[in-house]
Amino acid sequence: MSFVVGVVALALVTALACAVPGVFLLLRKDAMMTEAVSHAVLPGIVIGLLFVGALDSPFLILAAALTGLLVVLGTEYLRSTGLVEGDAPLGLLFPALFSIGIILVSQRFANVHLDEHVVLVGDLNLAAFIHLEVGDVSLGPRYLYVMLAVLLLNVAFVTRFFKELQVTTFDPDFAQLSGFSVRRLHYAFMFLVSITITAAFYAAGSILTVALMIVPAATAHLVTKRLPPMLALTAAIAVVGALAGFGAAYALDAATSGAMAFVFGLGFVVVLVATRMSAAVRASRALTV
Amino acid sequence: MSALPALLDLLGDHTVRTVLLGASVVGFVAGALGSFAYLRRQSMMGDVVSHAALLGIAAAFIAASLVTGSGHHTLALLLGASLAGVLSILFATAVVKHSRITMDGAMAVSLALFFGGGLTLMRVIQTGPFAQRTGLNVYIFGRAAAITRADLQLIALFALVALAFMLLNWKVFKLYSFDSVLSELVGFRGRTVEPLLQATIVLAVVIGLKVVGLILMIAFVVAPASAARQWTRSLEGMVLLSGLFGASAAVVGTLISVVAGDVPTGPVIVLVLTAIVAVSLLAAPRRGLVARALRRRRQRLDLMRLAPQVPR
Repeated sequence: MSFVVGVVALALVTALACAVPGVFLLLRKDAMMTEAVSHAVLPGIVIGLLFVGALDSPFLILAAALTGLLVVLGTEYLRSTGLVEGDAPLGLLFPALFSIGIILVSQRFANVHLDEHVVLVGDLNLAAFIHLEVGDVSLGPRYLYVMLAVLLLNVAFVTRFFKELQVTTFDPDFAQLSGFSVRRLHYAFMFLVSITITAAFYAAGSILTVALMIVPAATAHLVTKRLPPMLALTAAIAVVGALAGFGAAYALDAATSGAMAFVFGLGFVVVLVATRMSAAVRASRALTV
Repeated sequence: MSALPALLDLLGDHTVRTVLLGASVVGFVAGALGSFAYLRRQSMMGDVVSHAALLGIAAAFIAASLVTGSGHHTLALLLGASLAGVLSILFATAVVKHSRITMDGAMAVSLALFFGGGLTLMRVIQTGPFAQRTGLNVYIFGRAAAITRADLQLIALFALVALAFMLLNWKVFKLYSFDSVLSELVGFRGRTVEPLLQATIVLAVVIGLKVVGLILMIAFVVAPASAARQWTRSLEGMVLLSGLFGASAAVVGTLISVVAGDVPTGPVIVLVLTAIVAVSLLAAPRRGLVARALRRRRQRLDLMRLAPQVPR
């Protein structure tokens, strides 16, 4: 597999892996949780690096995902105390965890090589640099297989627990009354989100991770309210957006993750304007008839 | 050498004094105005604004370079940042108004669009024919030590404008924050008040970028207000206390970072802010978690005494 193809494949798989759980996050009105988790995993990554030494190790991803889960649990605890109102609980914990991460990085702890730049925007090209080779044949970037595993995990989880996710997302009270363990499913799901964000972090950085998770789902939600078509549309948008974003970045020699986030955002705006205009046309037709 | 002369020695240092002054002004203004974001229940908007500011900074840099030959006009950069910040809020509110997307999703989309655009423009600046293109990264991660006297003057100017705005519109902002429906009925149109209030908050956010960086700026908006809310029930008290929390965290954090040497200032300030929040949540009278636990215990004991026949 050539280098460019490898990078494109990695971008595609990362976009898909993020987009799937993003649908449920958006519908649960917890979209900004991705912003919190994507920053909170930093200290986990730095400490994991101390022990494991490789960014693409599954152990490191699990360890860092636990820090991400910490922010989920902490935020929900703060909400439950009722002491902090609005969306403020979300903004209280992740800056502290991110600060600890930055301080650890700044101390160049035990030769942890983690560029501040990578933290922010990731580096798709760097992540795709080491190829997996069998004999003389390159099978593409090694990290591609890490993201592929995460994607499969997400798809498997959503398929297996589709009904449960659906009912807990749209009607948590009903789910609770039906004797359903809403909390257990919720934490399993949030742990999966945390794993996904951590894995995507290296390839995409914290900002693109937010874009990849939420924007495709939000764009699809402009068009449909029903879950199955929304999931399919989200996946399609993730693929098209990743290709267009990567192409734009490549053509303009721009930063990959920044350009991809921007392209995803633009796509949302286009769909928003288009749906509004078609709604206006339909309304005026209805009036004239 | 004992602690006090060492401290005085530090305060004699010109750079340290500049940083302390800049950071505490930022802490005070962001803390004070963060109270309004808190009451509007939209604290995370501060995060969107601080990220969106990068697009404005980069665009202003390019515009200033094209017009004057150099992009480093801090006033232009701050004005660009403010404009982009206001636009990011308007975008998120427009999305909520015109679609079924809720505010959290709209904020995430706004963040992706504006910050993605900002990063793309930063890359354009890096590769383009611009003189003195380095130095803009300061706004991303923040570097308090890089604050100059000119920065300080601009920080003070923006801070004064923001505070004056807040005081002049005090009654309107207060009514609107607590009861936007009543505010509308009395004649203050939400369409006018909302952008005014948001723009005031944006002014407070953009001056903090160079001090703590755009990623951590959210802490200055959320933490002091969340802490202050535990101690007071009036808006006046909350705004004042929140400002004081922000300013004192900035001072303590800066001093710790200077004394410790090689530790970045922004993250240390954030950790101090977090500690203030933790103490407030635990120890505040009546509301605090400790007071609450003690009260529950006492009530349980009282109940036992009243009804001894109830099996335990």
